[in-house]
Amino acid sequence: MSYKIAVVGDQDTITGFALAGATYTHIHTAREETLAKLNEFFASGEIGLVLITHRVAEEFGFDFRQMLRTKGLLPLVLRIPDKTGYMPKVDELRKIIRRTVGAEIMVKKEGL
Amino acid sequence: MAMALAVAPTRMELLKLRQRVGLAQKGYDLLKEKMDALVIEFFEVLKRIQEARPKALEQLSVAHRALSMCFAIVGTLETKQASKETKRELQVDVSTRHIMGIAVPAVEVGEVERNALIRGYGLHMTSSVLDEASKKFERALKLLIELAELEESAFAIAREFEKTKRRVNALEYILIPRLKEAIKFIMMRLDEMERENFSRLKRIKAMLEERE
Repeated sequence: MSYKIAVVGDQDTITGFALAGATYTHIHTAREETLAKLNEFFASGEIGLVLITHRVAEEFGFDFRQMLRTKGLLPLVLRIPDKTGYMPKVDELRKIIRRTVGAEIMVKKEGL
Repeated sequence: MAMALAVAPTRMELLKLRQRVGLAQKGYDLLKEKMDALVIEFFEVLKRIQEARPKALEQLSVAHRALSMCFAIVGTLETKQASKETKRELQVDVSTRHIMGIAVPAVEVGEVERNALIRGYGLHMTSSVLDEASKKFERALKLLIELAELEESAFAIAREFEKTKRRVNALEYILIPRLKEAIKFIMMRLDEMERENFSRLKRIKAMLEERE
């Protein structure tokens, strides 16, 4: 099955990925609007990948995590840094490793 | 904390309980094995993420730098305009793969990088800086798609791992101890009844002997 790509973020990120061929884009300004748009992206069956900047994802915090939890296998969601390279201090993946494996030793050793 | 199940202290119950313990034990062993396999898979994926992530992020920041250049040289408005004119129909093939019975995504991307001619924006108003920025974003996008597949897999495996762990713990710390407790209770009770019976018989025997 072929799916399309959606991007949510700031103007620059959107422009860049639009140039690269992402089909759906949304510039985040108002919270409600973006939330509605995200819901639309998640509900539509034709989107296979949603890229969202860390900054926006973080702003939605709980709501966003809730959406991640309730979504099915699709769309894939990936959080990306914006042009300032902003990344949250707590890495989602690292958090999951800590919770499942119960230790972070492995992670530090391999330097994730 | 093993609370005994409410069971009747009979031999039948005892047999049934023993069977249940056996079954629970078997399930426990299987789940434990599944957990081990999941951990191996998980770290396999993690290793690949560790390789893919820096590459993708690096490419993304390179792309952003190129785009900033483009904004500066071509102009913000023109760049945005071009981005709107671009053909935006990149498709990814997503299917599911099964690892240990968990569905994880398997993404297939064709060629993401395009020729400036087929991108769709007009060539006479734009410069090669724009082409360069687009190309870099296309490259970044390809890497990011691969990274998304890996991360999503890692999350799926982690979720399944947690579920399995909860089941293993439920068996190990709740169900099996309870069953064992119940078995112990029944055995004690049966032994006690036997002893009661024994002393009762002795007493009756003594009484009978007295009467003679």
